[in-house]
Amino acid sequence: MTGKFNLFFRVLKKRPDFMLGYIIVFLIIIIAIFAPLFAPFDPIKSDAKNYLKAPQWPYLMGTDATGMDVFSRVLYAPRVDLAIALLGTLLSAVLGVILGAIAGFYDGSGKVAGFGSAFIMRSADVVQAFPVFVFAIAVVAVLGQSIQSLVMAIAFVNAPIYLRLMRSQCLSIRRMRYVEAAYLAGTSDVKIILAHVIPNSIAPLLAQLSVNIGWAILLTSALSFIGAGVEAPTPEWGSMISMGFQNIVTGHWWPSIFPGLALAVTVLGFALVGSSIEILADPVRTRKLLLS
Amino acid sequence: MKRLYLFLGKRLIFVIPQLFGITLVSFLFLQLIPGDPAVLMAGPFATPSVLENLRAELGLDKSLFEQFLIYISNVLRGDLGNSWQTTRPVAEDLLQRFPATLELIVLSLLLALAIGIPLGRAGARLKKGVTRRTADYYGLFAGALPDFWLGLVFIYIFYTVLTIVPAPLGRIDFFIIPPPSVTGSLLIDSIIDLNFAAFKNAVGHLILPVVTLGLINAGPILKMTQATMERMLDEDFSKYGALCGLPEKVIARKAFRNSLPSVITIVSVLFGFLIGGAVLVEIVFSWGGAGQYAVNGVLNADFNPVLGFVLVSAVFSLVIYLIVDLLYFYIDPRTT
Repeated sequence: MTGKFNLFFRVLKKRPDFMLGYIIVFLIIIIAIFAPLFAPFDPIKSDAKNYLKAPQWPYLMGTDATGMDVFSRVLYAPRVDLAIALLGTLLSAVLGVILGAIAGFYDGSGKVAGFGSAFIMRSADVVQAFPVFVFAIAVVAVLGQSIQSLVMAIAFVNAPIYLRLMRSQCLSIRRMRYVEAAYLAGTSDVKIILAHVIPNSIAPLLAQLSVNIGWAILLTSALSFIGAGVEAPTPEWGSMISMGFQNIVTGHWWPSIFPGLALAVTVLGFALVGSSIEILADPVRTRKLLLS
Repeated sequence: MKRLYLFLGKRLIFVIPQLFGITLVSFLFLQLIPGDPAVLMAGPFATPSVLENLRAELGLDKSLFEQFLIYISNVLRGDLGNSWQTTRPVAEDLLQRFPATLELIVLSLLLALAIGIPLGRAGARLKKGVTRRTADYYGLFAGALPDFWLGLVFIYIFYTVLTIVPAPLGRIDFFIIPPPSVTGSLLIDSIIDLNFAAFKNAVGHLILPVVTLGLINAGPILKMTQATMERMLDEDFSKYGALCGLPEKVIARKAFRNSLPSVITIVSVLFGFLIGGAVLVEIVFSWGGAGQYAVNGVLNADFNPVLGFVLVSAVFSLVIYLIVDLLYFYIDPRTT
């Protein structure tokens, strides 16, 4: 384990930008948890006298058209955005891994399971045949507009990615000699999947997870932006951008620009963490990086 | 040539069941959306008998199975039903809106290619330096920026502050008489009409949304070009070329030629994604495109526009994938 940690720090030393990614993610999580301590104002209290104030003391990022403090809202927003993105991505991974393991492990087998495997793959094809964004909106429309629906929409949209990843891992691992040996020794299918297939697929799954959380945050805010996600006045980056949208042309840029900036930095942080895991998961690329 | 026909035939056989499947699934899926079109159409004060008549008129009193059969037989006659929001036939609405979306995404993808390919090529050839770093970080930044937000930033800079572009409201200013619609693309139509005022105005409206989508979608194109070309430069044929003393430029050209299939794949994926995915930028610029039409349909329980949109964009995607496969055929003689 210390060897692994050593490797991790050597990679970070080579690529300081990865370090930046971890710092961003760490800070965003801290901000999300301790938002009430950092925020100077109540994020959903509007002050009718001080509307559309330019950034100035005490409104660090100005106020929006309803007189709410933009800075406080930007700090509170990751509570909603991160929670939805994390839950949705985790759910999609669990769903995808289970279905993908079945689809990969029983691919081409003559049993009932073989039929199930084909069915799973065709269902994934159908889900992916839809335009992603319209599909996500339709899921929210079917389930009703709520935070739970957003989580489900993200889970459904992303599950096929994990399904395909897991299936291809499964297809290559189940042909390995040690898996055949385990099979001959009488180990059950479930145990083989749990003990051999999943542990060997953890690294690419983790890399995918981290990149996907970034996407999920973008999707959450995009859905809220068009009015199919988190509703105002709940502080959320996408809905804040949408609220400030009309004020941009009159020169009041701050209600929209600041939340978008926070959103972009957060997604960038998760993307950097994702690329670092991608490299760490691949011994060849790690070696190449360390030797360069 | 015979190989090509066989290949085309095989592909076309699958198109019909694919389209049928997509229509069936979207039809059933949309039924799950709560909201009664009859109530929404007639308003909150309608009497039960009015609603009853309206339901019968819309065919909502029949079984789901019958409704689907009626829908399919209408679609085969080119009738996609009516939208209760615009009170017009969906086919007409789509015919007006799809060209707007297509003009936007085709130009955006061309811009994305113009940025992504040279930068990706340079990134793969160079080991260090400013260009290499730009290439390495471009994809990361482009992937992190929300496109609707970037559009707003551009509107603020170029419309509000610098006032060098027309107002972000649609494809052409209302005081300009648009050219008669021939292709649906305002640029092409205004050239046909020799209406240069309209052409200039349409270009002005196109610049910001195209730059927004182009800059962001250049990211994946760049990444794919760079990654594939790097792998090709590592292949034996490149090393052999270098050993034979071929100039670096020639080897790079060969390596790029061999990375083309992946680049074409990513462009086709982006195209399929953007048909619906450009909706956010369409909203920001009040573009009146197809994606916006579908999203409004979902949000207002207006199902025919959504079904029509899904069907037409599925046809577009299938056509694009078919063209891509034909291109593979042309580029890579090993394809069977």
